[in-house]
Amino acid sequence: MKTSRLILLFFSFFVVSSLLSACSGGVGVATSWPGFTVDPNQQVAYLSDAQYVYAVDLSNHTQKWRYPAKGDAKVTFYAAPSLTSDGQLIVGDYNKVLHSLDPATGLETQGKQWPFTQATDRYIGSSLVKDQMIYAPNENNYLYVLDHSGNQPVNQLWPFKTQAALWAPPATDGKYLYLAAMDHNIYKLDPATGKQVWASGDLGGAMIGTPAIGPDGTLYVGTFNSQLLAVNSQDGKVIWHAPAAGWVWASPVLVGDTVYFGDLNGTMNAVGLDGTVKWSVTPDSTTTHRAIVDKALVVKDTLYFSSETGALYALDITNGNVREGWPKQIGGKLYTGPQAAGDLILVAPVGLTSSDKSSVLMVALDSSGTQQWTFIPPK
Amino acid sequence: MWDTLIINPMVNTLLWIYGILGNFGIAIIIFTVLIRLITYPLTVQQMKGTMKMQEFNKSKEYTELQAKYKGDKQKLQQEQMKLYQEMGINPLGSCLPTLIQFPIIIGLYQAIIRALAVTPIQTLDLYGHIWPAINNAAKLIPINNIFLWMNLSQPERFYIFGIGIPVLAIVVVITTFMQSKLMTPPSQPGEQGAQMAQAMNLYMPLLMGYLALTFASGLALYFVTSNVVTIAQYAAMGKVEWSNLLPGNLLPRSLFPARRQADIVQSKPATKTASTSITKTTSTSITKTSSKNAPRPTQKRKTPVKKAKTTTTTKKGDA
Repeated sequence: MKTSRLILLFFSFFVVSSLLSACSGGVGVATSWPGFTVDPNQQVAYLSDAQYVYAVDLSNHTQKWRYPAKGDAKVTFYAAPSLTSDGQLIVGDYNKVLHSLDPATGLETQGKQWPFTQATDRYIGSSLVKDQMIYAPNENNYLYVLDHSGNQPVNQLWPFKTQAALWAPPATDGKYLYLAAMDHNIYKLDPATGKQVWASGDLGGAMIGTPAIGPDGTLYVGTFNSQLLAVNSQDGKVIWHAPAAGWVWASPVLVGDTVYFGDLNGTMNAVGLDGTVKWSVTPDSTTTHRAIVDKALVVKDTLYFSSETGALYALDITNGNVREGWPKQIGGKLYTGPQAAGDLILVAPVGLTSSDKSSVLMVALDSSGTQQWTFIPPK
Repeated sequence: MWDTLIINPMVNTLLWIYGILGNFGIAIIIFTVLIRLITYPLTVQQMKGTMKMQEFNKSKEYTELQAKYKGDKQKLQQEQMKLYQEMGINPLGSCLPTLIQFPIIIGLYQAIIRALAVTPIQTLDLYGHIWPAINNAAKLIPINNIFLWMNLSQPERFYIFGIGIPVLAIVVVITTFMQSKLMTPPSQPGEQGAQMAQAMNLYMPLLMGYLALTFASGLALYFVTSNVVTIAQYAAMGKVEWSNLLPGNLLPRSLFPARRQADIVQSKPATKTASTSITKTTSTSITKTSSKNAPRPTQKRKTPVKKAKTTTTTKKGDA
C-alpha cells in the first residue's frame, strides 16, 4: 500500500505540475525576448537574454564576457542594457535588482550603492540614461531615479508612481521626461524634482513603447487602442490620431517628415506629421503570428523591421515596397528590432538553434541581407 | 483546435465578466461558478456512474463471481464484463465525465493565466486570443490583478508583522480536504478503493496546497471557488457525507498507531478482559458517530469478537 500511495502521489504531482507549469511559464520558460545595445564605438553589443548578459565583440563575433558567470534560473535578463557616460552598464533583471556592470569586464561595479535592490518587481524595460541620472521603469508602477552611484535623490518627489506597470523607459527632449505608461496616460515630468507637469488623461489604451519626439516637440506614441497618437507636449492634448491594424507596441521612428511604426497585425505604417497615412504594408498576411513588436531601423532610404515570423524585412521608405531579395528568413522568432553597427545589421532571434542544437543569440547581416556571422555563446 | 474550442471562449468570457465588474478576483469567482454550472450535468452523470459501480461491487452476483473465479483473474474479468452488460452498467460511466471535465479545468486555469498576461510574451499571446467583437481589450488592459490583499499574478502571502502567511494556500488545503472527505462514499472494509480514497484524501489537499503556495494566487482562488462549488453541488444532490468531518473521522486510522494497534489486537484471539475493553471502545466510537461513519475495521481484522461484530453489523448498515 505504501508503494501505491507513493506512486499515486508522484503521478498526481507530476501530471498536475506539468500541466500547470506548461501554461503558466514556470522556471526556464522565456517570459520575454532579448534586448541589446550597441556601444557608441560600435565595437561591442551588450545582449540580455534569459539568465545572462553577454558582451559580444563585433569584430570577431565572440563573447567578451558574460554576467553572471554562473546563471540562476530565477534571475533572468531581458531589458536592453544602457551605457552611462562614466562607463557603467546598467541592466535590470526579473528578480527586482538593477545592476551596474563594468562594460569592459562584466564585473559588478564596486564601492558605490550598487546593485540597486529597492524595487519590488521586475525590470522589463531598459533604463534611460541622461545628464548623470538613470531613469529605471519597473513593473511595480514606479519610475526610479538614481545617480551614477546608485543613490536615489533625496528631498525630491522621486520615484514617480503611475497606476500600472512600466515596461518602457521615458523619452526626453533634454528638459523634460515623457513617460508613456500602461495606465493609458502620458506623464510629463520635471527630471530635476520628479514633479508631474501634466498627465494626458486616458488616451484609450495601454502604451508600452517610448514616445518619439518631433522637432516641434510633438510626441508620437502608439497605443493598444490600435492607434498612433500625436500629442502636444505643452498640454498633453491629442492633436491627431492615425489608425493601425492592430495594437501598437513598438516605439515609432521619426525620420524627416514621416513617422514609421509597426503593429501586432504585422503591418508597417508610414504617417506624415499631419496625421496623413502615406502607406501601410502587411508583407506577410498569410500567417497569423506576424506581430511587429519592436521599433524599426531606418538606414538611408531603407526601413528594416523584425517580424514574429522570424523574417527581417527591408522596405523602400518612400512607398513601402519590399526591397528585392528581401525578406530574409532568419529563423526562430524576431521580436527584438534590428540595430545598426557600422555596416552590419544585428538581430537577436528567439528560439533559433544551429545545426548542433546550440542557441543562436545574435545574427549579423550586411545591408544586402547576406548573413555575416552568428553569435553562439560558449557552453 | 485547443485554443479555438477551449481557450479563446474562456479567455473572452472571463475578460467580458471582468469588463462588467472591473474586478478580476470576482471575475474569476463568477467565471468558475459559471463553468461548474455548465458542467453540472457531467458531475451528476459522474456521481450516478460512481453509485452504480458501488452497488455493483456490493452486489451478490459480483461477490459470487469473485469467489468462483478467485484464482483466474482473466476469467473473472470476462464474467465481470458480462455482468456489467446484464445489469446495464457502463464501467466508464463514472470516469468518462471526469475525463471530459479535465480539459475544461485545465482550460479554465490557462484562461485565467492568459488573461492576467503579466509578462511581455503572455501579453503578446493574449492579443491573439481576444475577440474584438466581444471585448474592447484596449480598455481592459492592463488587467487590475489586485484582489483584496492579493496580487493574482503572484503567489499569495498575507503579511503580519513582516511574516508572510500563505492564507489562500491554507484555505485551499482545508477546502480540498473537506471536499474529498465529504464526497468520499462509504466503502467496504479493506477495499482497495477505500485505501486509495484514504490516500487521496490525505495527499491531494497537500498537493493542491503546494500548488497554491507556489503558483499565481489567481489559480488558488480558482481552487477555493471550485472546491466550494463542488461541495455545494454535491450537497444539493444530497450526496455529502457531513459526518465525515466529525473529529473521529477526519484522518485515516493508519495515522494513529494506537488506534491501529487496537484494531490489530482486536483481530487476534483475545483474552476475555482484552476483548471487553476493545469492544467498549468500538461501541463508544460507534455510538458517537453516525451509522455511515463508524470506524471501519482494517484489513487485518478477520475474526472480530462476537460482541464487536454484532455491534458493527447493526450500526454500520450500509458501510
